[in-house]
Amino acid sequence: MSHLIIDCDIHASIPYEGLKAYLPRYYREQIETWGKRVPGQNQMYMNGGTNGSMQEHQPPRGQGDDAYLDYIRTHHIDKFNLTYGIVTGSDYGLHASPDADYAAALCTAANDYVIERYLSRDSRLKGSIQIPKQDPMLAAKEIDRVGSHPDMVQVIVSNGAERPYGNRRYEPIYEACVRHNLPFAIHVSMEGIGINNPPTGAGYVSYYAEYRAARTQIMMAHLASFIFEGVFVKYPELKVIMVEAGMLWVAPYLWRLDQDWKALRHQTPWVKEPPSEYYRRHVKITSQPLELPPNKELFLPLMEAINARDNLMFASDYPHWDFDSPFLAFPKMDAEMKRRIFYQNAADLYQLSAPESEAGGARS
Amino acid sequence: MNRYCVGPASDIAPGSRKIVDIGGRSIGVYNVNGQFFAIRNVCPHQGAPLCLGITTSFVTSPGRGEFCFELEGEIVRCPWHFWEFDIKTGQMVVDPKTWTKTYDVSVERYDVSVEEEHIFIRL
Repeated sequence: MSHLIIDCDIHASIPYEGLKAYLPRYYREQIETWGKRVPGQNQMYMNGGTNGSMQEHQPPRGQGDDAYLDYIRTHHIDKFNLTYGIVTGSDYGLHASPDADYAAALCTAANDYVIERYLSRDSRLKGSIQIPKQDPMLAAKEIDRVGSHPDMVQVIVSNGAERPYGNRRYEPIYEACVRHNLPFAIHVSMEGIGINNPPTGAGYVSYYAEYRAARTQIMMAHLASFIFEGVFVKYPELKVIMVEAGMLWVAPYLWRLDQDWKALRHQTPWVKEPPSEYYRRHVKITSQPLELPPNKELFLPLMEAINARDNLMFASDYPHWDFDSPFLAFPKMDAEMKRRIFYQNAADLYQLSAPESEAGGARS
Repeated sequence: MNRYCVGPASDIAPGSRKIVDIGGRSIGVYNVNGQFFAIRNVCPHQGAPLCLGITTSFVTSPGRGEFCFELEGEIVRCPWHFWEFDIKTGQMVVDPKTWTKTYDVSVERYDVSVEEEHIFIRL
């Protein structure tokens, strides 16, 4: 069992030429005459690699139906013999658009494209439902539209937001998540872009390294918001995943939340248990980009402090430049902990069964 | 220590590199201003094919907004996480304890009867 791997963050991109066929006529023509009209992070901040991907990542496009998927299989899924991979989308610009109807159309097109072109072609791949978070009612509608598809395993939004995600305005989204038994994933991206608030409370940062650090601050705000707004009290089945915001920072942050809850509990009396308890039961985090302590002896105690055995799931972020290798990113840990982080925690969350065959997942 | 010929010196022009496979080891052979260096094509961080990264300079600065280029052509920047390695020493510039293996390189006549010079690696 020790070799089983679920990668919780694979970015299989969607070329515009491919997406076009899934868009309604109005937006198709709008894009053809006017352009895509979606705010982008790369216009504000540099990324790493080439356009954010590993420099040697050069997948083919337009050379037969499965050429791109075959490339991803060869260079990642088969290479690391992944049992499952969760595809998390590639263009989060729609989460920054001021036009909610257009964002909804882009989500619908992207979700249909992913189902038809990736999930139905390889049983190892599972999808994330993109939603127009600008309008929670439209978002809930999209979740209802594709939420029962067996290969769609979570709902996903960008970390950049107009309000912290515990805010009551988002409740239609969480009701839909619970209705379809789908976790809600927040993936770093689009902080301070388009309609989203600046990447820090102190305003815009200048450089990409600062920007990456700022993402963690925003994820912290979302986590506290979920807990103190009482979202997990109102929706006891809801699960939230923090994707690509790193992991070990969670330890002292939970200590801080628990400490303040002891003193300030009376201000939010609906929060009945210590914040770390809600984290333990409702929140998962993905590992990449790993931040490792220079003092190796601190690694396992910090893993214990974030309850990694139950709450941490491996993610590679393939094919992005800050990829974490399934084989080489993590320091040594005991076999049971490794099994839980690399496979079992994600298998339980997404309700994925052990593979019947270990030889690939191509569907005819 | 064995000596392996990796081809004619004229194959690797100044500023370029060639990746060769010797006994299952992938090695990048670089021509840095006429001098040849060889490093293992594996990044010590997470195993990326290091030599597929760009050959570049070490960018420094006397102050914010200013950029200087040092060690021109002597740096390989890993294609994944952009860690920068000195091609001459195999060491990561900002953390020399992190390094990839280097190999001795020589430029020799293959045979007295052949005029062209060849590159040899010893490992």
